[in-house]
Amino acid sequence: MTDLLQKLKNAVRSRSIHVAYVDTGSCNGCDIEVLACLSPRYDLEQYGIYVHNNPREADILLVIGCCTPQWEDKLKEVWEKIPEPKAAIAIGNCPVSGCVFNREGGYVNPPVSKHIPIAASVPGCPPRPTEIIRAVLSLAPTIFADYEEKKP
Amino acid sequence: MKKTVDVSIPVGPVHPCWKEPVRIKCETRGEHVIGTEVELGYMKKGIERIMQGRPWQEVMFLAERVCGICSVVHNMVFIEAMETISEITPPPRAAYLRVVVNELDRMASHLIANFSYCYTIEHETLAMYLLNEREYVLDMLEMITGNRVNTAYMIPGGVRYDLREEDAATLRATLDRLEENLRRYTKMFAGGPLIALRSKGVGILTKEEALEAHAVGPTARASGIAVDCRSNHPTYQEIGFEPVVRTEGDNYARIMVRFEELMQSIGLIRRALAMMPEGPVRGGGECKGGKVRYSGEAPRGELTYFIRADRYGRVEEIAIQTPSIMNIDACTHYMLKGVISIADVTSTFISSDPCIACNER
Repeated sequence: MTDLLQKLKNAVRSRSIHVAYVDTGSCNGCDIEVLACLSPRYDLEQYGIYVHNNPREADILLVIGCCTPQWEDKLKEVWEKIPEPKAAIAIGNCPVSGCVFNREGGYVNPPVSKHIPIAASVPGCPPRPTEIIRAVLSLAPTIFADYEEKKP
Repeated sequence: MKKTVDVSIPVGPVHPCWKEPVRIKCETRGEHVIGTEVELGYMKKGIERIMQGRPWQEVMFLAERVCGICSVVHNMVFIEAMETISEITPPPRAAYLRVVVNELDRMASHLIANFSYCYTIEHETLAMYLLNEREYVLDMLEMITGNRVNTAYMIPGGVRYDLREEDAATLRATLDRLEENLRRYTKMFAGGPLIALRSKGVGILTKEEALEAHAVGPTARASGIAVDCRSNHPTYQEIGFEPVVRTEGDNYARIMVRFEELMQSIGLIRRALAMMPEGPVRGGGECKGGKVRYSGEAPRGELTYFIRADRYGRVEEIAIQTPSIMNIDACTHYMLKGVISIADVTSTFISSDPCIACNER
């Protein structure tokens, strides 16, 4: 009986994902690709993904941009505001490596994994909306399944 | 009279309506906003400093990553500036193809600006219609250039790929479909009584104020100033171009100017396709040294590149002036002053189409 209940819970949890996104200094390209996921063609909400910009009710944080020094402490604050269980996904090349901005003279501090733990990354400059949706959907079950039994 | 401030309300930097971090401090008396101050600097990456001392082949890709929304126009203005220095003339077919791609990019940018405004005033149906139309525009960009955003389509002396005849037919068919749908959405926006309540007479920027703040682009054209750098561009002059001007200067006028420019862009692409001659699309040439100040019309207004290059085509010095900084200034100093409610602050700010990534670079 408990197994059935647990299965039901896990099925529901993988279809109810609240997403917040934070732009830590991107060129806007990845921003608008995340925004394009909202459009009826890709239709995020059919998978149960809801985009808020409120970290306090989010499950997954999408980090966009190459983490400028102004964002270092603020990104940590945003990350601490998200309740457990939580995960962060890096969207685009910038949070992974800094992309074209990580050169001599650039005012950036990549990778973002130095500042907050990153669970998955979607490389691309910019990645397509379908790739972003697939990353969120494939990450969500592994993070939220049986989370009350997991040890911290 | 002494200014009495009840409470100072910060809006941002992380805000549901804004895709990029920016902070506005609103001084309020009751619900009235009596003054605002904008705080920028969350996204400074130092692109101009990275560009210095690099060859044009690298700067070309950095230039279009100044802004992801209007990446084509950054590419176009940088390449045309380098062509002006090196005295290269692109083949006529390439010049027309540049206009086609630039206008498609402008349509995508205007659609996302109007989407953001409709989303901010909570008219989600119209917002989703517009965002879906943008996908069709991006499909066309992908068909011609190979990528949705950051296309790197233009190179000194031409463009990368030719437009095939069957692709041109697909583009024409999509434009017909877009025109029909956009006419319907424009009617929805123009005739909506609740949209009018949130938009007409809110955030007024008079012609004198627009001149004083040096507003550019659709923000200036909505206040009755007929400025458009496309009037000086030789290919646009051949096609025939008249700027769209409205005189009201409120949120409604700014969004309607963008809707009218969408229809104008469709017409420009059609005429460019009809006038396009046969021939090569890559003329070749060699980038030389020199300095130039070159302006082009981005979707948000006048975009200026100042470039000094050495004789190998390396960029020694570069300065970029993007349109958003003037519009943000005009918005915070004139439009937001006297807005009757805090709820209108976000929608008025969005109506000037601020692009923070362009602005801070």
